[in-house]
Amino acid sequence: MSDNGLMKTLATYDRRWVYFVLFLVVVIPLLRPIGMPITVSPDTKQYNEAINSFGDGDKVFFTLNTEFSGYNEIQSGIIASMRVFIENHCKICIAVGHPEATGIPELIFQKLEKELEENDYEYGRDYVILGYVMPNEASVASMSQDFHGAVTRDWLGKPLDDTFLADVNTWEDWDLIADFTTGLATGYLLNHFALRGTPMTVNCIGVMIASQKPYVDTGVYLAILQSMRGGAELEYLTGHPGPGLTAMDAFTFGHYMLLIFIIAGNIGHYGYTRKLNGGNR
Amino acid sequence: MSEILKNRELQLIVMALAFLLVFIPYFVQSPALEAASTKLITITAIVNAVTLVLALNSQVRRGLNIINLRKTGWYFKAYMIITMVLMVVFAFFGRETGPYHWVMYAVINPLSSVNYGILAFYMASTAARAFRARNTQSILLLATGFIVLLYQAPLTGAYAPWLEPIALYFGNTFGMAAGRMFLISVTVGAIVFGVRVLMGKEQSVLGVGKEET
Repeated sequence: MSDNGLMKTLATYDRRWVYFVLFLVVVIPLLRPIGMPITVSPDTKQYNEAINSFGDGDKVFFTLNTEFSGYNEIQSGIIASMRVFIENHCKICIAVGHPEATGIPELIFQKLEKELEENDYEYGRDYVILGYVMPNEASVASMSQDFHGAVTRDWLGKPLDDTFLADVNTWEDWDLIADFTTGLATGYLLNHFALRGTPMTVNCIGVMIASQKPYVDTGVYLAILQSMRGGAELEYLTGHPGPGLTAMDAFTFGHYMLLIFIIAGNIGHYGYTRKLNGGNR
Repeated sequence: MSEILKNRELQLIVMALAFLLVFIPYFVQSPALEAASTKLITITAIVNAVTLVLALNSQVRRGLNIINLRKTGWYFKAYMIITMVLMVVFAFFGRETGPYHWVMYAVINPLSSVNYGILAFYMASTAARAFRARNTQSILLLATGFIVLLYQAPLTGAYAPWLEPIALYFGNTFGMAAGRMFLISVTVGAIVFGVRVLMGKEQSVLGVGKEET
């Protein structure tokens, strides 16, 4: 192949090559994990310290503002955080902000059966699943001011009177809001809980990090866990490898692949496209 | 009666009163006012929940109309109505087991996940083709993006720890500034919009078609 032919190929490669190579670099490490080393970011250390500062009897409002789709990106953070809360004997109330997410608590507890048993967790006394109770801002606002006025039963229709939630009335009664989000009701939780003073942490998908970080900087969030990478780092810190760490090999290769394609595309741009356009753009 | 309820001034007055009832308790400590505010918010939440039934009704009526007229893509509407009705029926058989549970975990979960996973391919392709060093600005963007992408790959930290402070610097300065700017401008925009609504200059929220300048 001549130099010009190579440059033309680099500048005009078919996008399906990107799809194909990405498929390979994601699937192969998932099927045969390598276990490459990872580093832990300062944000994840801060998050780990924040959630570990809550313990025996503290009431945690565990909110899943995600669909099944987004769950795949943040499931490592969700499961690792839930494990920490269970091992610290917190009281956990799960609420969701999307109809699909009503199926997520079952997926979480399937993976934490051992922890639930070891820590003698009992439904109602130690944890409750509310289901889809955050469809809009009015519902979240209502829960912050008159919890039992907004929610009277759990997701299977059982009354909340005999659960630990009998003592919860307003935003002041929660010790922590642990939010896991692709967007949805997170802004409402910020407005009606966190900005009033309820401590809050967040684990968000990658595209939300830039818009959520300022809340950490201003102290509204105690800490932020960034996407799947943060979840993997939390798994590492807590000593329980899970889906996050398994995905990190593919994560690394995917990033490097993208960088190689960007470099190749730019070489092609300078070697072919620019010359074709007479040196302009 | 309906004419009175359609009166714009009356609607604006009700809206302004509702706004004040929720807004004032943030600044004035009054148990009676707070109780009234809480009650109003709870009523709003319940009304919002009822609107789901209204939406269901509207979707079915609109869908049936499209099916009857055999408009383009009518079969998608038929599929939507059938699956909607089926899910409602399935829910009566319980949610922990049975058909609802099966649809949730064997159909919706994988479909939703695949839909999300496909985005990675589009994003990778777009990034690979769009990041071109065409001028000074794009060279700066490319260099920054390159460093941040390299840092985001978990392995990088193990053999190039010197990259972390640089990537964090970009995130904590330029990234944070852009994030703050976005949040502040959205908030200021929302306040301006709220004031315009209360002044009757944004009547689209009342269901009135044309807005005034």
